[in-house]
Amino acid sequence: MQNKAEVSTGNMLSEKETGRYSRQISYIGEEGQERLKSAHVVLAGTGGLGCPAAAYLCAAGVGRLTLIDSDQVELANLNRQILHWEKDIGRNKVISAREKLEAMNPWVIIEDIFETVTMKNAPALTEQASLIIDALDNFSARYALNHAALQNGIPCIHGAVCGLDGHITTVIPGRTACLQCIFPHPPGGSDVPVIGTTPGIIGLLQAHEAIKLITGIGTVLENRLLIWDGRDSSIATVHLERDPECRACGINSSYATRTGERQ
Amino acid sequence: MKVVVRAFARFREVVGDVNTLDIPEGSGIQELLTALGARSHECRDLLFDEEGRVREHIIVMVNRRRLARNAIASTVLSEEDEVAIYPPVAGG
Repeated sequence: MQNKAEVSTGNMLSEKETGRYSRQISYIGEEGQERLKSAHVVLAGTGGLGCPAAAYLCAAGVGRLTLIDSDQVELANLNRQILHWEKDIGRNKVISAREKLEAMNPWVIIEDIFETVTMKNAPALTEQASLIIDALDNFSARYALNHAALQNGIPCIHGAVCGLDGHITTVIPGRTACLQCIFPHPPGGSDVPVIGTTPGIIGLLQAHEAIKLITGIGTVLENRLLIWDGRDSSIATVHLERDPECRACGINSSYATRTGERQ
Repeated sequence: MKVVVRAFARFREVVGDVNTLDIPEGSGIQELLTALGARSHECRDLLFDEEGRVREHIIVMVNRRRLARNAIASTVLSEEDEVAIYPPVAGG
């Protein structure tokens, strides 16, 4: 294990880190890597989406990762939740995930929060984040996270899956449609059939969006919903726009009042 | 008239690969969805609730623009319009 103290000395990269990330530094530069190191990603959900997203963000050298989940590892999780292993059955997912991530990359600070995301706690859970990843499995918690992202003005990368289907979009408060604009009515059911690679693909796309947002490379899925169809491995993107009537960010919402968007 | 239909995800599985659908001149979204729903029980169940209303969570896009739910009943289609239907997923 590396000395943690070495990690927390600002955002300068140590020689060891420069070596570890050399393949990506040659693309994003040391400045891009330092941006990753100074980033704090709050990842809600350490299941099918959260495991691959967390693993790749950890490997990429995001400085601080906060994991939030209130579930324990179950046998039926293991087809897709790759940070949880046979020996972890019955343990808290946040602890199981944290251990693997710390072993993977000791230069990343991992925090675990054993809580269910609610309207009440979401704003405080996310207020320190540079960005949020919605890797949850139900829409009531997703709406709570969306609300918190709007309230704190923090980008939130939303992803969801079922079977062979998945979708992802990046919500930037004030600039894009929010989750409630896009999905004003919740789709039902969380105990869905799922082929493990589906959340793998969408979770990785979420990590990919996060890396782009943090480093400034490329363009993110702003006002675009990417829909993955695993039947024929096709991807479609559909255009989105803010809903002026949106309960969460529309003209009559508390968000509009607070940010001065309401005329 | 012919309209282009793009079915996504579970809906595509159920409805099959429909590319265009021939519907009477002056038809709207409601008629198009009814025609699609008539293809099978599964199709109808996916699109409509027990009272025959379009399910609230289904996303309907006309010419790549999201259609507000309250516009479904009043939207009239034209030749070659593209209608996309996506039943969003929720799991993680």
